[in-house]
Amino acid sequence: MPLHHDHHEPAQVALVLFCVGPYRAALEACHVLAMTDHPTTLRTANAQTLFYEGGDHDSPPSRWLTLRAAPTTSRENNSTWQLGVSGDITLQQFPNNTLYPLPKLLLSRRFSTALCGLTFDQQQLVLLLDARQLNPPLSQAPALSQPTTNS
Amino acid sequence: MSAEHSRDGEANERPIATQTLEEALAANGDTEMVVDVDEPTQQLVLFRLNDQQFALPGSSVSEILPSDQPVYYVPGLPTSTEGVLHLRGKIESVISLHQLLGLPTPEGAPKGMILLVRAAGITSGVRIEQLDDVCEVAQSMLQSPPETLPDALRPYVSALWQIDERQALALLDPEALFDAYQQGLG
Repeated sequence: MPLHHDHHEPAQVALVLFCVGPYRAALEACHVLAMTDHPTTLRTANAQTLFYEGGDHDSPPSRWLTLRAAPTTSRENNSTWQLGVSGDITLQQFPNNTLYPLPKLLLSRRFSTALCGLTFDQQQLVLLLDARQLNPPLSQAPALSQPTTNS
Repeated sequence: MSAEHSRDGEANERPIATQTLEEALAANGDTEMVVDVDEPTQQLVLFRLNDQQFALPGSSVSEILPSDQPVYYVPGLPTSTEGVLHLRGKIESVISLHQLLGLPTPEGAPKGMILLVRAAGITSGVRIEQLDDVCEVAQSMLQSPPETLPDALRPYVSALWQIDERQALALLDPEALFDAYQQGLG
């Protein structure tokens, strides 16, 4: 029996919310493979350094989100990397009509092309990040592997 | 009665100039604001930045937002981007024109109204320091920008309105402003 969908109800988008420095940000949940307390892959990056200038003010990440790396060669299809984030990490559903694209005028001025949109969570601005645009530099120094806690 | 007789007497000596009511009202009104209805006019939104007078075409300003309109800061953007505002289910950028126009950036928290400007398919808030007026100006009052215009302003000024001998106002081209902003200027 087919499921009945109310056509007036907006579709939901699952997002993983976290903090990048003092700002709230989110990635589409389907891109987040795991969450660990410590880095477990060779390729890591602190979200703050990827996302905006001002590395001097970087605070150490408290959690690591495992993301699939955009393949640059056929052998890298299954490679992953970890994004260092902080703050409360939550999985939330957002109605699609509350997810706004970045205003046109700002598209060419953003520090990171990963910043693709904005939304609000309890009246706080949330920066929507495109996981496919968030790749750490290939020359990134390997992080130490430590015991992990998969979520 | 004697006074009336006296006036009648003067009238007989000199012809009295007649005037229509419209002419009389126009003569007693603010003559600077009188516009020949047959002459093409342009609506201008007059404002100040760094105490200098500027204008934008009224056709490009869709809304004037109050100074207390919440603006949300977005990191990873140039300092000339104040942030975004959430307006009736839409997100619009809010920018400052100071750097683009070569004006000193004001210190402290931004204050003043926000003009919601639409040009070249783009809508953005533009923070101003003071709203002076919204008025109709005869096209003939708008002159080509002079050679003496500062280099920083030249690409963005489409016309100059010489209000009086001491006051001139630069009419900004919103398309040129947005285009330059997108190209990384300002």
